[in-house]
Amino acid sequence: MATTELRTEEMLLNVGPQHPSTHGVLRLVVKVDGEIIREATLVIGYLHRGTEKLAEDLQYTQIIPYTDRLDYLAAMINNHAIVNAVEQAMDLQVPERAEYLRVIVAELNRIASHLLFLGAYLLDLGAMSPFLYAFQERETITQMFNEISGARLTYNYMRVGGVKWDAPPGWIDKVRAYIPHFREKLKMYHNLVTGNEVFLGRVKGIGAYSQEKALGYGLSGINLRSTGFKWDIRRNKPYSIYDRFDFDIPVGKNGDCYDRYICHMMEMEESLKIVEKAVEQIQDGPVMGKAPKILRVPAGEYYASVEGAKGELGIYIVSDGKDKPYRFKLRRPSFINLQILPELMEGQNVANMIAILGAVDIVLGEVDA
Amino acid sequence: MSGVLGLLKGLGVTLGQLPKKKVTLMYPDVQPEWPDRYRGVHKLMPDLCIVCNQCARICPTSCISLSGTRGEDRKLHLETFDINFEICILCDLCTEVCPTEAIQMTDTFELAEYNRDAIYKDMNWLTENGKQHALRKGLSLESTEEAVEQNNQLEGNA
Amino acid sequence: MWNNVLHWVDQPFTSATYLGMLLGGVLTLAITLGAVTYTIYGERKIIGWMQGRVGPNRVGPFGLMQSIADILKLLIKEDIVPAKADKALFMIAPIITYVPAFAVLAVIPYTFHHYFTARLNIGVLYYIALSSISIIGIVLGGWASNNKYAIIGGLRSAAQMISYEIPLALSMLGVVLLSGSLDITRIIEVQQQNGLWNVFPQILGFIVFLIAATAELARAPFDLPEAESELVSGYFTEYSGFRFAFYMLSEYVYLIAMAGLAAALFLGGWTGPFGLGWGWFWYAIKSFLFIFLMFWLRATMPRARVDQLMGFAWKYLIPLAILNLLISAVEKLYWLKG
Repeated sequence: MATTELRTEEMLLNVGPQHPSTHGVLRLVVKVDGEIIREATLVIGYLHRGTEKLAEDLQYTQIIPYTDRLDYLAAMINNHAIVNAVEQAMDLQVPERAEYLRVIVAELNRIASHLLFLGAYLLDLGAMSPFLYAFQERETITQMFNEISGARLTYNYMRVGGVKWDAPPGWIDKVRAYIPHFREKLKMYHNLVTGNEVFLGRVKGIGAYSQEKALGYGLSGINLRSTGFKWDIRRNKPYSIYDRFDFDIPVGKNGDCYDRYICHMMEMEESLKIVEKAVEQIQDGPVMGKAPKILRVPAGEYYASVEGAKGELGIYIVSDGKDKPYRFKLRRPSFINLQILPELMEGQNVANMIAILGAVDIVLGEVDA
Repeated sequence: MSGVLGLLKGLGVTLGQLPKKKVTLMYPDVQPEWPDRYRGVHKLMPDLCIVCNQCARICPTSCISLSGTRGEDRKLHLETFDINFEICILCDLCTEVCPTEAIQMTDTFELAEYNRDAIYKDMNWLTENGKQHALRKGLSLESTEEAVEQNNQLEGNA
Repeated sequence: MWNNVLHWVDQPFTSATYLGMLLGGVLTLAITLGAVTYTIYGERKIIGWMQGRVGPNRVGPFGLMQSIADILKLLIKEDIVPAKADKALFMIAPIITYVPAFAVLAVIPYTFHHYFTARLNIGVLYYIALSSISIIGIVLGGWASNNKYAIIGGLRSAAQMISYEIPLALSMLGVVLLSGSLDITRIIEVQQQNGLWNVFPQILGFIVFLIAATAELARAPFDLPEAESELVSGYFTEYSGFRFAFYMLSEYVYLIAMAGLAAALFLGGWTGPFGLGWGWFWYAIKSFLFIFLMFWLRATMPRARVDQLMGFAWKYLIPLAILNLLISAVEKLYWLKG
């Protein structure tokens, strides 16, 4: 009896730009054979707005609102990146109180961004409630940011040489009161999610990669730290006043989705510690340093990076002495972190695709700029 | 067994949320309370404007256009002032650079219109918005200097 | 004559008893539809409260008209049948899913006096048999849609439901063993006589029943057929408007029937505390507890993956249910008589 080959076809599946789980307008074209993904291609650019090109025609202070809109979930950190880069290039001094305010808002914003990761990741996996609890907490932080800068998402708060406004009276006390409240909430999230068997079955062992592969792809942030490699710009290449704070760098063990989730949770705790110490140490003083009215970066090439919520956010400025940059390049962590995705998807179940994509934690504003 | 305990703890968390206070705001019956520095739609006080063009030059998206004429007292007076709210990003750089605080931001945030032309706000609309904002907040309507002073206090400027 | 209409079960078949049967059917259908409408409303409200928000509150006072507005919207939609779909099967599939879910309501005794329910002496068998038929409707719905995702979804839902039928039936067998009868009314009477609800001697069976019922109803954490954030859409992808409402209706009617069964088999049915009257009231409270548990699980748990679903049923639930049978046999022999 002759055995006939079973004729199978590979199917091209489009996880289109409009999809509830792609965290924005990301398009994944996957070739599936039954249930196994054979090949995955990413199509990006649906949110490209030409920030880098527009920046060539804008003065440095005018670029700051544009940087808000890159990683729009952690806009303060983006602001910090550009003002840090220009200050390092021009060698400007920033007053103490401004540095402390910058650190407080940047770390609070990191907490807010990680909260959104928690909510969105669990929503992709099917649990509806953590999303709403995370957003309740995020609302408190957003309300605080509204009071200090006037906006809820795109803050435009930092300026070259300091920050725009001093904290309104009572704001620092609000932050101080928020810290123990959020510690309780972190315990609640751990109770709700971390021990849940169904959740663990979906994320443990999925999407693992080794340290060498992560370094080879140039990953940074939590995607690199989940493999066990301790690399954090705040510790390894300190900027601003981060060398004054004593905080841990949580790392994972296997580089799978569960490690990335745990790293996010532990990083929230560490950021809370930084905020606690900064609120204790902050002194009164001016919030804007000596900066020229028209900012002219001396001719040359400058690169400065900060630890963004998603990884290393780097600003590369090529200046020819004018008040507008000649070339303004952004090293966007989500864009670079996405490169590993096609390799991670190969050979995986379609059901795991969403779990892996969610754990990489991308923001489309940063991927496309 | 620890798996079952984890599940039960999770169930306990959701049950514990049942009696807590709900955070829903019954918009639009109840309007949100904005802090003093909130960057809403602008308001204009044309008497204070010296037509220096700083706001138009600093705007990152170039959405402000204004023109003025020189009056008898050899000072420039404002004739037209338009903000295109299709591209305004409410970054408030224009309020930062204005030397006389003629342009400031209010807490208006509802800008939906039925056609695109209505999103270009001109001088009259912006002045009217200022008057509405002053009525809502209980600010002075008469003297523009007083209004500027009150706004400074709200924003915590020196 | 009215005696014949109400207690038609024990009477010979005349026009009066026929009127009674018709009345019973229509009345049950009306009450069921009302109950389903407000179960959907209750689900949205309770899950909203667990998440720190109020549920529907705009349409009508306290949002009570929300479900009615949703159903009205579904009813006035255009009836789309895909071009290459098998028209006859496409139309029949929701009906095949709905009729068994509604028919099992006949054996759920919500009170001691059987007004419009039947006292079948094989009640449990009737329930299990009919609930298996609704799976055919699901497979047919997926197949008739002529959509490769719908077929995959339909077959997956069918596999899930068939796999979890077995632990469900096995857990009910423990109760049957203890009570010595397949008649649901007799089971409740035995619980009343012993003064002990079946949930206590049958705690393992109860847990297996709860998990199997959640999977059988395709509710979280086993709600793969309804998952919007997964890639493959469910068996009702191509259904819109009234037919989609039918599938949703059958799902919720099945939920109410399962709640009634759980209350009858494990929680003592219509018996109230201290022998108080108003049996239907206590019955309603117990059913409500079961339904509340379903809502609570939906608000808390993420979704299990499809291969983990099957493994869990075959490798864990069925051995547990068989263990429960052994324990029930031991209990029957040495402890509980009757």
